[in-house]
Order: sequence, then C-alpha cells, then structure tokens
Amino acid sequence: MKNIGPIGPIGPIRKIMNLYKYASPATFYPLAGKMIPWFAIPAALLFAAGLFVGFFIAPTDFQQGDAYRIIFIHVPAAWMGMFLYVLLAIYAGIGWAFNARLSSMMASSIAITGAMFTSISLVTGAFWGKPTWGTWWVWDARMTSTLILLFLYIGFISLQAAIDDPRRADRAGAVLALVGVINVPIIYFSVQWWNTLHQGATIRILGKPTIAPPMLAAMLIMLAACWFYSVAVVLIRLRCIILEREQNASRFAEVGV
Amino acid sequence: MHWPDLSMGGYGFFVWGSYLFSFVAIVWELVSLSQRKKALAQQRRSSASVPASVLRGSANETTS
Repeated sequence: MKNIGPIGPIGPIRKIMNLYKYASPATFYPLAGKMIPWFAIPAALLFAAGLFVGFFIAPTDFQQGDAYRIIFIHVPAAWMGMFLYVLLAIYAGIGWAFNARLSSMMASSIAITGAMFTSISLVTGAFWGKPTWGTWWVWDARMTSTLILLFLYIGFISLQAAIDDPRRADRAGAVLALVGVINVPIIYFSVQWWNTLHQGATIRILGKPTIAPPMLAAMLIMLAACWFYSVAVVLIRLRCIILEREQNASRFAEVGV
Repeated sequence: MHWPDLSMGGYGFFVWGSYLFSFVAIVWELVSLSQRKKALAQQRRSSASVPASVLRGSANETTS
C-alpha cells in the first residue's frame, strides 16, 4: 500500500515522469559523468578480449590467409559509422522538432566519433583491398557511398562550427543529417543492388553467418568494444558541449547580450 | 590457442597498418577530448577572474 497516492499508484508513474528531468542538460550532466566509467572500463576490457580472440584463437583463413584479420576492426568500424549516423540523425531530428537542446548537443557529440569510425573503415578497407583485390581503392558502390558518409559527417561538423548561434547551427545540422540519412540504407544494400567488388554480407539478420564461430566471436566482441567506447566518448564530449554552451549563455547573460 | 605469426603470412604491413591507423585514430580522439576538457577548465577559471566589462567586447564581436 506504500505506493498508493491520492489518485492511485504513483511509484512507477513518478519514476517514469522523473526520467524527463534528464532531458535537461543541467540534470543530465552529472548523470553522464557517473555513466562514463560504466562504459569506458568494459570498452577497454572488450577491446583486449576481442584482439585476443581475433589474433590467438581465430584460425587463419584458407583463402585470404592472415590478411582477413583486418575484419576485426574494419567491420565493427563500418557498422559503427552507419549506426552512429542514424543515431545522430534521430537526435538531430528530435532536437529540431521538439526544440530539445540536449538532443541537439548529443547529435553534435556523436558526429566526431562517427566520422572517426567511418575513416577507420575506409582506411582499413583500403589496407584489406590491396592484398585481396590488388588495389587500394575502386569507385564501387559500397566504398563510394561510405566515402559520402564521411563527407556527410564532415559537412555536419563544419556546418555546426561555421554558425555562431548554437540554435541555428543545430537546425542547419539537423536538416543535413536528416537528408543524409538516406545514404545509410544505400551503403547497406549497395552490395545487393549493384555489382560491386566488395564482398556481400557475411552476417545476416535472418540466416546463419558464413564465417567460422571464433572469427564471428572476435568480430562481435570488437563490435561491443566499439559500441561501449562510442558511448563513453560521446558522453565525455557531451559534457564538454554542455559546459561550453552553458558558459557562453551565462557569459552573454552577464554582459546583457 | 596459437601464437600469431608477426609477419601475418606476408600481409603484416596491411594487418598491422590497419590496426596502427585505428589505434592512432582512437588515441587522437581521446587526446583531443582531453585537451578540450583542459581548455574548458582553463577558460572557466580565467573567465571567473575577468570582469564582465572586459568580456563585453568579445561577446559583441561574436554576436554581430
């Protein structure tokens, strides 16, 4: 009976309603600080475990030899690049539609990490392409659309940096992010829609994977590591953005601008 | 468990090159983030000691 209030059970409802308070940058700031170690420490452990399984447990591929071990960083980086862009677009869209400052800050925070993972996927892809295809780069659909993804990230970051007013920068960034999100399914399905040099999907949502279990394990552990790392880094950057914007706002308020 | 051949069967440059680039990218991100935090802390300390009248000029420049 302890959760019964004047109008009925209030405990769970109040708990859900209380979550809304974290939509405010000021209340989310300390929560983000508490969350960072819970993602940073597992990220470091998972990176170590993934590399151990990838280099010490996974066997040598009968076709590609040891060159295939690049997939343990290439594939998770490529997935993270796409996933983070979708997340960025969702946050930017929410920030634009509902004027939610924290969502827009989150989108800004995600962009650099997404760009970094996309760069890793492109460079490691080139390192993999040279020994297996005989070339560092070809303008095929998968690689070109991934390069466009990197340009979208760079465009988003540059656009936000070029506009002084954060609200206007958020709106402009949101438009670019939402238009650019169409590129993500193009990247994903490019190997099916076009005849490309890039190999098809080895892991399918419906169906058995076509790689050996230790290889798959290493790849999934590295994916988890990249995911935990991304959350930790995005939260650290988000805290910086919150401080920068609040500091600028209070400075403007102080001088009466 | 097996000890990997460091030459990666002749693909060492490509495999280690990939991991080296990834490592450098991650370290770059962490270092730049740490520098951003430091710069922010320094800015907060210095702006606390600078009166609002001094800041007025730069604030107007930013918004004009």
